[in-house]
Amino acid sequence: MKIKAQVSMVLNLDKCLGCHTCSITCKNTWTNREGAEYMYFNNVETRPGVGYPRHWEDQEKWKGGWTVGNDGKLALATGSKTNRLMKLFYHPEQPELKDYFEPWTYDYETLIHSGRKNNQPVARPRSLVTKEKMEIKWGPNWDDDLAGGEHARSDVNLAKMGEDIVFDYEKVFMRYLPRLCNHCLNPACVAACPSGAIYKRDEDGVVLVSQDVCRGWRHCVPSCPYKKIFYNWETNKAEKCVFCYPRLENGLPQICAETCVGRMRYVGVVFYDMDKVEAAAASKNDTDIYENTVDLILDPHDPEVVKAARAEGIGEAWIKAAQKSPVYKLIKEWKVGLPLHPEYRTLPMVWYVPPLSPIVQRITSEVYLPDANEMRVPVQYLANLFTAGNADALARVLQRVLDMREYMRRRDVGGEAPEHPIDLTEDQMYEMYKLLALSKYNDRFVIPTDIKASREGRADMQHKRGFACPTGGCQ
Amino acid sequence: MSLFLWGALPYIAFTFFVVGTLVRFFYFERNWTTKSSQFLEKKQLRIANPLFHFGLLCVIGGHVVGVLIPKTWTAMIGVDDHMYHQGALYMGAVAGFLFILGFLMLMKRRFTTPELRANTSKMDVWLYLFFTLAIVSGMAGTLLNASGFFDYRVSIGPWFRSVLMAMPDPSLMENVPGIFKFHMLSWMIVAIVFPFSRLVHCLSVPFNYLARPFIVYRKRDRR
Repeated sequence: MKIKAQVSMVLNLDKCLGCHTCSITCKNTWTNREGAEYMYFNNVETRPGVGYPRHWEDQEKWKGGWTVGNDGKLALATGSKTNRLMKLFYHPEQPELKDYFEPWTYDYETLIHSGRKNNQPVARPRSLVTKEKMEIKWGPNWDDDLAGGEHARSDVNLAKMGEDIVFDYEKVFMRYLPRLCNHCLNPACVAACPSGAIYKRDEDGVVLVSQDVCRGWRHCVPSCPYKKIFYNWETNKAEKCVFCYPRLENGLPQICAETCVGRMRYVGVVFYDMDKVEAAAASKNDTDIYENTVDLILDPHDPEVVKAARAEGIGEAWIKAAQKSPVYKLIKEWKVGLPLHPEYRTLPMVWYVPPLSPIVQRITSEVYLPDANEMRVPVQYLANLFTAGNADALARVLQRVLDMREYMRRRDVGGEAPEHPIDLTEDQMYEMYKLLALSKYNDRFVIPTDIKASREGRADMQHKRGFACPTGGCQ
Repeated sequence: MSLFLWGALPYIAFTFFVVGTLVRFFYFERNWTTKSSQFLEKKQLRIANPLFHFGLLCVIGGHVVGVLIPKTWTAMIGVDDHMYHQGALYMGAVAGFLFILGFLMLMKRRFTTPELRANTSKMDVWLYLFFTLAIVSGMAGTLLNASGFFDYRVSIGPWFRSVLMAMPDPSLMENVPGIFKFHMLSWMIVAIVFPFSRLVHCLSVPFNYLARPFIVYRKRDRR
C-alpha cells in the first residue's frame, strides 16, 4: 500500500443554476491574456449539447484517454510512444482554434471617435487572433440553454442512446454541466507528453504543466479526453487548469468553488492507494471503472491507513483534513458522487452528484416524490455521462438522494417509510442533507495548509501568472 | 577578408550557436518551444510539415557524409569519385527537392493564411529569408556542378574539418566557386541566429520519452 493524498472536488449538479460565475472568475484570474482568450479552464455546458470544444466527447474523432488491449494492458488511445513520435510534425487528432471558437473584441473606438453622422456608429467585431474584422458564427456557450436545438440533437451521449430524443415541449430536458480539469489519478495528458513537462504533484495530486519544460509538441491536447489542455498560440506552450494551486497552498478553495453562487462545490482531501491505480483503470469492463475508483479511496479513519499515510510523509494537517473531508463522505461513504465519463479510464478526481429533475408529467398527480426512473432527464442519458452507460448504477445514486429528500419530508411532516430498502441510515441521511443543503464555507471546503516554502519574490509574480517568459527574450 | 570569412567567422558563428543556446536554455527556457502553428492552421500543414522535416533530415545526412567524412575513407570502402558524385547528385537532388517542396508549401502557408500572421514573429521572417538563401545556394551549387568539375571534397570538406579541429586553413577555400562560398556564409548566418529563433527545438527531440514511465510525479519543493 502506497498512500498518496489528492485534493478533489465534488459538484452537486442538483444545485447548479448555470450562471457561469465559475467560468468568469476563472477566466479573469487565469486566461485573460493574449493567446489564452479562447481558453476556459472552467466552462459550463448545457446538456444535452455539443460542449466545449465542440463534440469533445467524440473519442472516435479525438482518440482521447486510454484503451485496454487484448493483453489487458492500458495504452493511450492516440497510439504507442513510437507511433506518436512520428506524429510530432503533424498530429491528425489535434483540435484547432475553430473547434473551440475564434475569440473577438469590438471596435469600441469607433463609438467614441465617430464624427457626426446620420446613423448611429456601430462597433464591429474584430478577431483577437488575426485582428481583422470577422463575422461571429460560434462562441462560448453558443448553445446555452438549448439555443438552436440542432446542436443538442448532436450530443454524443444522446446518439449513444440509440433512440431519437424527441424535442417535444413536454419531453425536453436540460441540465448544466460545469467542467474543469479533473486532475485524474491516471492522467492521459501526463502520459502523452513527450517532454515530460506535465506532472502530477506528489503532495496534492494537482496536475500541472511546467511552462519551462513544455516544448509545444501538443500531444497532451488530443490525449486529454476532456479537452482540458489548451495550446496557447502566443506563448506556444500548453496550459491547463492549475486547480488554483496558489490558493490551495494557502488553504483557500479554487476560485471557481469560492465564487460558486449555488454553493454546490465541495473541496477536500482523499487518500488513495497508488499501487492499485493502474489495475483499476485497466479493468476489462467500462462499467467497473467507477466502482474500482471508489475502491481506491481509502478510509482516513482506519488506523492502518493513517499509519501508512504517516509513513509516506503525509503531514498531520493533511490526515486531519482527510478525516473531515466532505468529498470523502460524498463519494465513498454515501456514494452519491460519480466521475464524468469513467470509460475514458483516466480516473477523474472531480466528481458530480447527478441532478434530480422534475417528475414526468404522466405521474405528477399520483406521487409527491418520484422514483429515479420517473424523472424528466432520462436515466440512460445521465448514465452515459457518469457511469459508462450503466443505468442501474446511476439510478441507485439518484435514488439515494431521493431517499434523503423523502426522509427529510417524513421527519418534518410525518408519513410512512417507503417500501424499497434504503441504503443509508437515518443519521447518514440527515448528515447528507446538512452537507448538501445547509453547509457553511468551512464544511464545504476543508483544505489543509502547510506552507513551508518561502514567499519571497511572490509579489513580483503578480499579474504574470507564470505563463509568459518573465524576462521576455527571443522567439 | 578571406582570413576573416574562413578563419574567424566560423568561430564567431560557433560561439553564438553554443553560448547563445546555453544562455537561452538556462535563462529563457520558458520560451524554448517548437512554436507549432497546427492549432491555427491544420490542413496545409498535414503534407508540408512532415515533407519539410523528413527532407531536411535527409539533406543533413547528405551533408554529414559529404563534408565530415574524408575522401580517403569512402575510397577505402571502394567508392570511387564517379560513383560518389553520381550518388550525391541524384540522392541529393531528390532529398533537396522534397525539402524545397515542403519549404515552399510552408512558406506559402505562413504568408498567405491570416491566422498565421498572428504568430509569425520578426525572427520567423528572417529565418525564412536565411533558409531561402541557404537552400537556393545549396541547390544551385549542386545542379550547376552536375558535371562534377568542382570537387568540394578536397576543398570545402577539409576546410570544414580544419575549422572543427581548431586549425583553420583559409587557403583551402581560395579556389572555391562563389556559389559554394555563398552557401558557406548562409549557414554561418543561420548558426548565429539559431539561439534567437525557434530552431532550438531541434535540440529537444524527445527521445527520452521512450524510456520514461507514463505517469510523472514531481514534488512541489525539490529540495
